[in-house]
Amino acid sequence: MSDATSQSDIPAKDSIGDYFLDLWCHTSKTLALRPETGAESELYDEEEEEQPTALDTLNSSGGFSVVGPDKLSLLYTNVNLHGHDVGVVQANHPAPLKRMLYYFEIYVKNAGAKGQIAIGFTTSAFKVRRQPGWEANSCGYHGDDGLLYRGNGKGEAFGPTFTTGDTVGGGINYAMQEFFFTKNGVLVGSVYKDVKGPVFPTVAVHSQNEEVTVNFGQDPFVFDLKAYEAEQRAKQQVKIDNISIPQDASYGIVRSYLQHNGYEETLKLLDIAAQSNVPPISVAPENGVSGDAMYALSERKTLRQLIKSGKIDETFSTLGKWYPQIIEDDTSTICFLLHCQKFIELVRDGKLEEAVLYGRREFDKFKKSSACDDLVKDCAALLAYDQPSKSSVGYLLGDSQKELVADAVNAIILSTNPNVKDPCLCKHSSLERLIRQVTACFLEKRSLNGDQGEAFRLSRILKSSKRA
Amino acid sequence: MSLFWIVIRELAEIQAMATSKKVITRVEWEKKLNDVKVRKDDMNKLVMNFLVTEGYVEVAEKFRLESGTEPEIDLATITDRMAVKKAVQSGNVEDAIEKVNDLNPEILDTNPLLFFHLQQQRMIELIRNGKVEAALEFAQEELAPRGEENQSFLEELERTVALLAFEDVANCPVSELLDISQRLKTATEVNAAILTSQSHEKDPKLPSLLKMLIWVQNQLDKKASYPRINDISTAALEDSVV
Repeated sequence: MSDATSQSDIPAKDSIGDYFLDLWCHTSKTLALRPETGAESELYDEEEEEQPTALDTLNSSGGFSVVGPDKLSLLYTNVNLHGHDVGVVQANHPAPLKRMLYYFEIYVKNAGAKGQIAIGFTTSAFKVRRQPGWEANSCGYHGDDGLLYRGNGKGEAFGPTFTTGDTVGGGINYAMQEFFFTKNGVLVGSVYKDVKGPVFPTVAVHSQNEEVTVNFGQDPFVFDLKAYEAEQRAKQQVKIDNISIPQDASYGIVRSYLQHNGYEETLKLLDIAAQSNVPPISVAPENGVSGDAMYALSERKTLRQLIKSGKIDETFSTLGKWYPQIIEDDTSTICFLLHCQKFIELVRDGKLEEAVLYGRREFDKFKKSSACDDLVKDCAALLAYDQPSKSSVGYLLGDSQKELVADAVNAIILSTNPNVKDPCLCKHSSLERLIRQVTACFLEKRSLNGDQGEAFRLSRILKSSKRA
Repeated sequence: MSLFWIVIRELAEIQAMATSKKVITRVEWEKKLNDVKVRKDDMNKLVMNFLVTEGYVEVAEKFRLESGTEPEIDLATITDRMAVKKAVQSGNVEDAIEKVNDLNPEILDTNPLLFFHLQQQRMIELIRNGKVEAALEFAQEELAPRGEENQSFLEELERTVALLAFEDVANCPVSELLDISQRLKTATEVNAAILTSQSHEKDPKLPSLLKMLIWVQNQLDKKASYPRINDISTAALEDSVV
């Protein structure tokens, strides 16, 4: 049996070590790039999309209307004769998708001869000589009659008319799949968004001297978008709040999180508190899919404390005593992480010469991956600064780095449990698995919905304060 | 239309539904899961938020030391809050009211419903202890004037006074008022009010995260078949149902 475990043990060990090295690349480093923003920084900002910033002058309907030199104003200069000489202009980019709401406003500077101004959304295939809403796959709120047009020439009762001096807004609510419109800061109404694919904010003028200016967010909006967003979010939240979950589910997850991470003292106190709780909370003592959750609890606690107090030599010797198989291969990723931490501790103590010697002796054998190289480079860069903690690699001296190394050691010890069938399960606590599942589900749901809507962010939940 | 055609059409619909659902295998899904990076700090904060909001003050203090996570509010305020909660849970309502007022007199001043519920609980405790005369006096002097202000208070008051009308209170129609769950209900209400007065959310964030998981999985079920987490407590990934 010992043969079998030690054989299957080596790849598992490396996969766990590599996983945490990868995690370092993703989290510590990203954090380091934006030390100023600190906790406020949104970590995975791959959400950035191009946004409408101006009117599109290339693709606008020639001759009927003139876009001002700022590309934010539109004037009808001709005399309109029929329904195919509308001065309609789209924004230079479609409305961004990966968010909950998109919104823009127009200000009617002059309602001109007939006040046939419209605001709405159209697709890239839209015929740019017609009012938004008159053609298929478009939607528009028209100023002269206050009607809403959706894909044909017949409007439906919607809201008030608008004219000179009015500010009118058009928006998309991706969560509810709605278009909504506002007038002078007040919500007029919303309709089901039956247009598929990306849509462009669109403005139209259709009689002599009609003039509007467009606000794509470069100036503050008249409509209180923040309040509207909070209101919409609360609506969604009510549906979620009404879902029932097992009463002590959260307690069980916290408990297994403490077990997984080897926060033994906290766990003990939580168990005492649970017994004196009214009514007492009972949770099955063994939960978690990674086998018996209490495995090596106090050993893991001790090693975590050693790493967190910077005693890396002792960590190595203790591991050598309790789990020699973990560090027997000195070129494994886990050893690499520990050596880096030792180097960091030497820098912290101001023992720079010793750090240089240590680095030269230990780092050379790790040339396996670019991630290793990156970490070595960052470690070495600590030497270049007079005050390394304030440098761009100062994050290495922070608690998060220690925690990461401690987490890696913790996971590897968990994987030495002979009852563990799949060592990969040792990488994550059940809390982390739940968060990963929520995040992946939200992303998948969005991608199956034409990329519309916002992603799930744990940081937003953590930041959100009480709701009124 | 003959039954035959109805069946054919239904079959076609079922087939269309089945084919329009995207099937995501376990391997594909695990790859997606692996792309999700969760910050340890954030998980620690989530756990700390749970301990603080639920009032596990000693546990939170230990967790601060073991994990290096700073609690979002002064832990001393938890101690006071839990003392109030405990007092209600063990039936010392007068004591609880005094403690709440020591903490912040505005809490009860601005929250007439909570104050009424505490007074109601006080009367229930008097009845439980067989102090019928004291209970009656209390109802007339303290509760009745409040009932006049508010119809729903009045109904609650009548329900409570009804306890006095029965010989065998344990089996009377309003016996649930004497149940321990009534104390817990009141205690939870006070707890929430104190948290709100400290500009803190009354509920921990973790349960709403779990609800979100159930919600989003149900939503995604309509469009895709993928490995779900059915049992929150183990967080085990099930195989996708094809």
